[in-house]
Amino acid sequence: MKPAPFEYVAPDSLDGALAAMQQHGFDAKPLAGGQSLVPVMNFRLAQPGVLIDLNGVPGLDGIWQTSDGTLHFGSMVRQSRLERDPLVAQHQPLLAEALPHIAHPQIRNRGTFGGSLAHADPAAELPLICVALNGRIKLQSTTGERWIAARDFYTSLFTTDIGDEELLVEIALPPLPAGTGTAFTEMARRHGDYALSGVAAVVTVDGSGVCTAARLVYLNAGEVPMVAEQAAQMLVGERPSEEIWLETAVAASQNEIDPRGDIHATADYKRHLAKVLTIRALKQAFARAGN
Amino acid sequence: MLKSQSVYRIDAPGKVTGETMYAGDITPDNLLHGKVVFSNQPHARMIAMDTSAAEAVPGVVAILTAKDVPMNGYGLSGPDQPVLVGLGSSNPHADISRWEGDHVAIVIAETETAAAQARSLIQIEWEQLPIIGSMEEALKDAVIIQPWHGSNVLKKYQIRKGDMAAGWDEADIILESTYHLPYQEHAFLQPEAGIGYIDDKGRVTVEVGGQWAHEDREQVAHSLALPEEQVRIIYPAIGGAFGGKEDMSLQIVLGLAAMRLHERGINRPVRIIWTREESIFGHHKRHQATVYTKWGATKEGKITAVSATVHMDSGAYAYTSPKVLGNFHLMVTGPYEIPNAHIDSYAITTNNVPGGAFRGFGGPQGAFAAETQMNKLAEALGISPVDIRLKNVLREGSLLTVQTPPPPGISMAEVVERCAQEAGWNSEQYSGNGGQSPISNFRSPFNSIQSLPGNPQTLRKGRGIACSFKNVGFSFGAPENCEAIIEIHGTAEIERVVLRHAAADVGQGTHTALKQMAAAAVGVDMNLVELDMSDTATSRNSGSVSASRMTFMAGNAIRGAAEAALTAWASEDRPAIGHYKYIPPGTEPYDAETGVCMPNFSYGYVAEAVELTVDIETGHIYVEKVVCANDVGKAINPMLIEGQIEGAVVQAHGYALMENLVVKDGRILNPYLSQYLIPGIKDVPEIVQSVIMEVPDPIGPWGARGMAEMPFLPLAPAIVAAVHDATGVWFDEIPLTPSRVVAKLREKD
Ligand SMILES: Cc1cc2nc3c(=O)[nH]c(=O)nc-3n(C[C@H](O)[C@H](O)[C@H](O)COP(=O)(O)OP(=O)(O)OC[C@H]3O[C@@H](n4cnc5c(N)ncnc54)[C@H](O)[C@@H]3O)c2cc1C
Repeated sequence: MKPAPFEYVAPDSLDGALAAMQQHGFDAKPLAGGQSLVPVMNFRLAQPGVLIDLNGVPGLDGIWQTSDGTLHFGSMVRQSRLERDPLVAQHQPLLAEALPHIAHPQIRNRGTFGGSLAHADPAAELPLICVALNGRIKLQSTTGERWIAARDFYTSLFTTDIGDEELLVEIALPPLPAGTGTAFTEMARRHGDYALSGVAAVVTVDGSGVCTAARLVYLNAGEVPMVAEQAAQMLVGERPSEEIWLETAVAASQNEIDPRGDIHATADYKRHLAKVLTIRALKQAFARAGN
Repeated sequence: MLKSQSVYRIDAPGKVTGETMYAGDITPDNLLHGKVVFSNQPHARMIAMDTSAAEAVPGVVAILTAKDVPMNGYGLSGPDQPVLVGLGSSNPHADISRWEGDHVAIVIAETETAAAQARSLIQIEWEQLPIIGSMEEALKDAVIIQPWHGSNVLKKYQIRKGDMAAGWDEADIILESTYHLPYQEHAFLQPEAGIGYIDDKGRVTVEVGGQWAHEDREQVAHSLALPEEQVRIIYPAIGGAFGGKEDMSLQIVLGLAAMRLHERGINRPVRIIWTREESIFGHHKRHQATVYTKWGATKEGKITAVSATVHMDSGAYAYTSPKVLGNFHLMVTGPYEIPNAHIDSYAITTNNVPGGAFRGFGGPQGAFAAETQMNKLAEALGISPVDIRLKNVLREGSLLTVQTPPPPGISMAEVVERCAQEAGWNSEQYSGNGGQSPISNFRSPFNSIQSLPGNPQTLRKGRGIACSFKNVGFSFGAPENCEAIIEIHGTAEIERVVLRHAAADVGQGTHTALKQMAAAAVGVDMNLVELDMSDTATSRNSGSVSASRMTFMAGNAIRGAAEAALTAWASEDRPAIGHYKYIPPGTEPYDAETGVCMPNFSYGYVAEAVELTVDIETGHIYVEKVVCANDVGKAINPMLIEGQIEGAVVQAHGYALMENLVVKDGRILNPYLSQYLIPGIKDVPEIVQSVIMEVPDPIGPWGARGMAEMPFLPLAPAIVAAVHDATGVWFDEIPLTPSRVVAKLREKD
C-alpha cells in the first residue's frame, strides 16, 4: 500500500526542526531512517499530516566521549555505524554485540539510534540495551531540554514519555564500572527477524569474584523493555555458579516477564527460551567480568 | 545426439537488465485498472449486493457481478466454482460463498485508487452459514458444502492388494502412527497479475502468468461461452508458479472484463495486479492432511503389510484435488514393493482455502508418512535405514500396490546406494543414535540467529536419509499429449529453425532446455533456433508445466516434429514444417474396488541424506548438509537441474522447518510474508550437494526423465529422521518450529 497524503518539510538546522515540531505538534512525525515509520505509514497504521525530515539537520550524527567516560550519540547516528565504531566496541561492547541482530545490513544502513529508541518497539534491541546500560536520553523542544533515564522513557507499548513538540536529540551511556561484564543474546525464528526472546545481562564483580551488581533486561517480554529486578538481585553477594544462574533464570522468566503467545511460538515457549538465554548470557557476562 | 550442456538461461539477460516484461509491467496506453472484490466469507449466502455507491466514485468505469458471467462455474476438475459469487447468474449455487477467497465482483476504473475506493463502498448483505473448518467436522456431513455433490467426501480411492490378515501374521513388528502434514503457500516471487483486451483479430485476449495456456483458454472460453478460437492466452515472463498458477486466478475475470467492456463500446485494456496479501488469500495451497497408517515387517526388515487412511483437506472447491489425492494414495506406501496393502484415501471438502497443485502433487505428504514409517522400522529393528530400504525398494518386475509393475528403468536401489555413498553413510558406521551425545569439536552453527555460542552441551548432531519416487506426466488415465511445431528455413543450407511451443517458462528455464533439444533434434547449432512460445494463437497444446513432465513430453514432441520437418526438408519443402503430437503410453484410473491400474508411464527416483544440529534447549535446528541423488535419465542442462534441486531442497526445508500457515474457521490468519516465514539465504542448508544420475528412461527423449518435483519429496522425512537421530524423539507433525520441538522434547523428559 501507499501512505495517506502528507506534507513534507526538510529543515536544515536543529532550530528549524524544533520550530517545525512546535508548529505542527501532534500532527507531525519526525522522519529519521524511515525503517519503521515508512512501513507503518504504508500500512496506514500511522497517518501523520506532516513529516519533518531530520536527515538534513546537521549536528545529530556525532559520537563522542566526555571526560567522565560517558559515550554520547547524536540521535541520527546510523545503526550500521554503531556496529563498527571503535569507541563503541571498546567502551560499550554490549551495544556492539546487539547491533548485528537488528534486521539486515540494508536496514541498519538507514535506521538510526534515536529512531529505534523513539519507536519503542518492545521487541527491539536498542531500547533494551539503553535500559540495561543505564542510558539517558536527551529531549529538546523550542522551550528547553531535559534528560530522562531510558528506563523511565518507556511507558507502554510503542509509547514513550516524549512530548508532541519534543525531539530526541542525544543518547548518553555512562561508562561501565570496573569489573563489569556484559552479554546479549537473542533468538529469532529466522535470520534478521524480530527475536522471539532476548536478554541483556550486565554484571559487576569485586576483586574476589563476588557479584556486586547485576541487571537483566528482556525484549519481547512485555509492553516495554522488561527489567528483572528481583531475579537480578539474587545474584548480588553470590559467586557465579551454574546453580545460581539457573535459579536466577527461573525466577526472572517465571515472575518478571510477561511474553505473549503468537503464531510463531507459545508464551510458554517464550518463557522457556528466556530462561535458557538468561543462563547463557549470565555465563558469558560473568566470564567477561572476570577478565 | 544431444550433448549435456550447461548453457546459460536464454531469459537471463532480459531479466537481469530489467528489460523483460512480466504481466504486471505491461502498461499500454489507455489502460484501465481492475480490482477483484473478495467475499471474505468462508461460508455465507448473499442476500443482497448494492454497488450504487461504488459506481458513483469518479473514475469508475464498470462493476461486473455474477449476472455478467455467461457460464458462472469453472474448475480444472469440473465447473464447481463460481467465477463471481452472487445473485442473478445461471448457476443456482453461485449465491453462496464457500471460501473467503471467492470473488464477488470486479471493479474497473481509470485508476487503481478509484478502483480500490469503489471496492470498499460495495455493500453486501450476507446470511452466515456454519463454517466447516476441519475435516472431522466435514466428515459428519451435517452441513453439505457442495450440495450438487451431495457429500463432503469429494473423492475416495481405495487399494486392496493381497491378504491383510496373512500380512500382519507374517510381521514380527507392527508400527502404527498418525501424521499431520501442514498447508504450504507457494510464495512465488511474482504475485498474480494480468491484462485483458480484445486483440486485432477480435479475440478476447489475456496476458497472464499461468502453467498451461491452452487449459486457461478452455476455462476462459467455457466461462464466457465463447468458442476457444475466440479466446487467446499469452504468457509473458512468469515469476514462479510451483503449481500455484495451475488453476485460474485472474484469467477468467480479465477475459470477462475485456469482453463486457467491448460490448459497451469501451475498447481499452484492463490490468489487475494482486498484492501479496491478495495472492495468499486468492490461490490454493499444498493440502493439509492426516495420515493414519500401520506397517508390518519381519525382523529382517521385509515389509509384510501396510494399511493407511488418508484424509486430505481439499477446501471449498475441487481444483486438482482428485488428481492430487490419486498421487498421494499411490505414494503413501513409498517406492517399495508392498505384498499386502489396504488403503483408503479421502479428499474432504471444507470451507478452508482450496488445496491444489504444488510441487510434488500429493507426493510429499505420502512420502512423509512412508519414509518416516520406514525410518521408524529401521530403528526399531536395529537395521540401517539404507539397508532396510534396499530390502524393499521397487526393482524391475516389482508390483506396485496397484498390482502392476512400474515401467522399466527403475533406478531406486542405485539412487539410494549412490546417495548413501556420497553422504559417507555406510552401514557399519550407523549407530542409530549418531548424535545423542554432546558434540566435542564444536563450532556454533547458529551464528546467524543468536549471538552467543550457545551451550555445546545442548547441541546434538544427527543424520537421516529418505528416498522417493514420483510420476512424470499425467496419471490415471488423464488424456496426456504434447504438441510441437518445427519450421526449418533456408534454401540449400538450413538458415534458421523455428520452434513453436506452448510450454510455460515459469522460471525453471524450460525454454532454454527446449531450445537445446530442438537444436539437437534438427542437428543444428542452438544459435540457429528461434522460439515462438506460449501464445495460443501460434502454438499448439503442450499440456501444463507440472508433474515434472515438460522436458519429457516436449522433448518427445520436438523429436517427432524435427523428424517430420527434416523429412519435408529432404523433399524440398521451403520452409519445411513439421508438426508432431507426442502421446505417451496410456495410463488407467484406479479400479473403484481394488485400485488395480496402470497408473503412470514414467517415474523419477530420488534420495536425500541430511546432516543437522539440534539445540535441544532452544529447539532450533540447523541443517548443515543435504546430499541429493536424483536420477534425471539424461541431464539436458546440468546447471538448470542443479537449480531445480537446490530450489526444491530450499522449498522443502521451509515446509519441514518454518512455514506455518495458520487457518482458523476458514480464515488465513497470516497472509503476509512477514508472518508466514519462508527461509532466507541465511536459514537454508549450508551445503546442498546435487548428485545427478543418468539411468535412461527407455521412452524419455534421449533417456531424460522429469526431475523438478522429486527433490522436494524426501527432505522433510530425512530431516525428521535426523532430528530423531539427534534427540531420540520422533516428530509426526511438521513444521518443526522451535516451539514445537521444545514442547515435544520436554514431554519426553
Ligand atoms: C524488515 C525490517 C526488519 C527490522 N528488524 C528489526 C529488528 O530485528 N530489531 C529492531 O530493533 N528493529 C528492527 N527494524 C526496525 C529498524 O531498526 C528501524 O530502523 C528502527 O526501528 C527505527 O529507526 P529509524 O531511524 O528507521 O526511525 P524512523 O522509522 O524514521 O522513525 C521511527 C519512529 O520514531 C520517531 N522518531 C524518529 N526519530 C526521532 C527523533 N529524533 N525524535 C523523536 N521521534 C523520532 C518517528 O517519528 C517514528 O515514529 C526492522 C525494520 C525492518 C524494515
